[in-house]
Amino acid sequence: MKKRVFSRLLALGLALTVLAGCGNNQETTQQKTDPSQEASAEKKTFVFGDTTFNAENGIADINPHNNSGGWACIRYGVGETLFRLTDSMELEPWLAKSYERVDENTWVLTLQDGVTFTSGRAMDGEAVKECLEALADTHVRAAGDLHIQEITASGQTVTIKTEVPVPALLNYLTDPYGCIIDMEAGVSPEGIVSGTGPYEAVSLVTDTSLSLVKNENYWNGDPRIDEITVRTISDGDTLTMALQSGEIDAAYGMPYASYPLFENDAYTISGCATSRVFFGTMNFESEITSDPAVRRAIAMGIDKDSFVEVLLGGNGYPATGVFPDNFSFGGDSVTAETYDPEGAKQVLEAAGWVDADGDGVREKDGKKLVLRWLTYPSRQELPLLAEAAQDILGKIGFRVEVNSTADHGRICADPDAWDIYVSAMVTAPTGDPEYFFTYHCLDASSSNDGHYHSDRLEELAAQMARTFDTEERSRLAIQMQQTILDDNAYVFCSHLRMSMISRANVTGLTAHPSDYYEITADLDIV
Amino acid sequence: MKKYIVKRLLWLIPIFLGITFLSFAVMRLAGGDVVQQMAENSGITLSEETLEAQREALGLDQPFLVQYLTWLGGFVTGNLGKSYVSGQEVFPAFLSRLPATLLLAVTSVALTVVISIPLGILAAVRQNRAADYLIRLVSFIGNSLPNFFVALLLMYLLAVRFPVFPVISTGTGWKSLVLPALTLAIAMSAKYLRQIRAAVLEELGKDYVTGARARGIPFSVTLRKSVLRSCLTTILTLLSLSIGSLLGGTAIVESVFMWDGVGKLAVDAIRMRDYPVIQAYVVWMAVIYVTVNLITDLSYRLLDPRIRLGGDAG
Repeated sequence: MKKRVFSRLLALGLALTVLAGCGNNQETTQQKTDPSQEASAEKKTFVFGDTTFNAENGIADINPHNNSGGWACIRYGVGETLFRLTDSMELEPWLAKSYERVDENTWVLTLQDGVTFTSGRAMDGEAVKECLEALADTHVRAAGDLHIQEITASGQTVTIKTEVPVPALLNYLTDPYGCIIDMEAGVSPEGIVSGTGPYEAVSLVTDTSLSLVKNENYWNGDPRIDEITVRTISDGDTLTMALQSGEIDAAYGMPYASYPLFENDAYTISGCATSRVFFGTMNFESEITSDPAVRRAIAMGIDKDSFVEVLLGGNGYPATGVFPDNFSFGGDSVTAETYDPEGAKQVLEAAGWVDADGDGVREKDGKKLVLRWLTYPSRQELPLLAEAAQDILGKIGFRVEVNSTADHGRICADPDAWDIYVSAMVTAPTGDPEYFFTYHCLDASSSNDGHYHSDRLEELAAQMARTFDTEERSRLAIQMQQTILDDNAYVFCSHLRMSMISRANVTGLTAHPSDYYEITADLDIV
Repeated sequence: MKKYIVKRLLWLIPIFLGITFLSFAVMRLAGGDVVQQMAENSGITLSEETLEAQREALGLDQPFLVQYLTWLGGFVTGNLGKSYVSGQEVFPAFLSRLPATLLLAVTSVALTVVISIPLGILAAVRQNRAADYLIRLVSFIGNSLPNFFVALLLMYLLAVRFPVFPVISTGTGWKSLVLPALTLAIAMSAKYLRQIRAAVLEELGKDYVTGARARGIPFSVTLRKSVLRSCLTTILTLLSLSIGSLLGGTAIVESVFMWDGVGKLAVDAIRMRDYPVIQAYVVWMAVIYVTVNLITDLSYRLLDPRIRLGGDAG
């Protein structure tokens, strides 16, 4: 009897404890605003959740001279560059109001008047000179891109002399590393800098959050939000629920699977194609992919539309060439093989690849049509693409052996270890087409992993390196793309759709194909 | 006793050398490096010269043994180095995360004790009755659910459907603590319930309980003063194991709730091949386990004088 009484009392006590805890919680949450909240009630605040604002993406802070810190500097409205990219990825002046190219190595930039840093210092030629010199001293990639020999300043004018002709110099200055910051104010221990943007950074904790306040002296409009918090939220599900619960007002980096939850009137989705492309590089040292028929069959055997629609849930754009539609030299300006599995079978048959032993895998001269597909798992789309290819190419007569590994960098340097290397990269980060070819397709390219060579491409590339005229560069870019597509040296599968999702009352948050500009003076909550 | 403690602490040296060397070697075997990972994440292709310059700046161009000995030399002189990824000093970065991990560990252990001990006893006392079946069923379900799923479930119920707690832990205020602590406590309680039940049942079957009952001693007194005391070593063993792993951080729960603890720091570091941070974590884990095990062993003796420790004479 006593045993029963004891056990009941124990259970009752436990239940009361739990209920008391719950009741207390509810009571506390139902309590309305405290005085500090009331004081801030008149202020407009905005919370932005971002999966990419972290050190592992090279964004430990907002210092544009530190690794990829410039991305945060420009994305969150702290810094601005001398030139910016339009919606069609063309150049337009920003902190510079005009430029003149004196000769192949000399550029004179005239700066906007009346621009001040959030530190209070005027943005003049001297300030820009100091900033660019510091950039070239500390940022290895910027130094390699810009080839700066000397910078001189006078009033609102800056003259940049380069060591070699750099036709894409102004494009490079749109890169986030080119955010102009006040070097006199310097960089705080947390990595905070003073820029010219609509918002001023006031506190920063790496991998956690960034706090911004309105720049009251902004030169190019009237920022409408008083306080902004950018929160690092690495987990996609957490980001989803934070937006659902209203803890954040907008999100960047939402998982594809969560999109349907926000496709309603309560939210706005702003998206556009970026130049980040998922593509395969053929290995010209391989016995399999050095055969033009095999490369063509692979290009014909990949169902890009289904990959984008089904596996990516519509969050991408089927790719034809290197660049997406919103570039003047992208999209349909080139042609590539289209999905045609029956045609691919015929191409292989004609080249002597037949399935003589009936095991479903074609052979030629005693060699099986085995395709070693090298990729890596850190981009969620790549393993999906590998699995899809394994299935579709399998029906054509390939046996696809997928190697999805974090160690792909070492493996792809060994031409005997793979046949096709499928990766993701941004092909035109500053809107200029030369970058992709320089790094990937030429004899001198550091990332020409497949050892591709084309005399015509080398010739066109040499021509582009001497060409300053933008239209002519676009025309060359089309020809260069068509050359590599005709050789089926690369297969471009899809371009990434970059999206931001916000609550319906948020305005002025618009996706940009460069992926650079997010928080601007136009951002508002209505 | 003192001799025993000193001996156990001295064991830290070979343990420390062994695991730091092994972890360094294993990370090397895993392939890839921080320079490549960061380039991959950004999607920007860098020239081989740029990549090599970055490797050289971090000392990654040096042979494996040289890198390890350089790190070891730094450690001995109190310098844990800088994170390859964030560029921040490892020691202060690590220390800044510890309070969050400690708070989460202590709270979740306290919640586990509050949930599992009463329910474990209840299940034992009401053996093979409705309450016992129900508690065992709940324990079975709790054991079957992975941590991240419980975290998302709690988040959905208590932050999205009924917005009582925040989704994102801000690190300030008790509300941020509830969901991550509860997630950990549910998993641990589910495991402990059954073990506490078994330990209590074993004690209840012993002669001294029957004897006490025969002498008319109230059951609640026997339970509280004899049975529970006898079960304490079992409970303490369970708790010590949990405290060890909790102080090492709970990467999944910390990541899901954006709880800024050492577990999340370590997992991020492993993904990025950030060797200095990984090594700091490994050292921390060695210290935790050796210390917690030592304290547990000492507590055994306090709880049960029959237990003798290795260094004791008699």
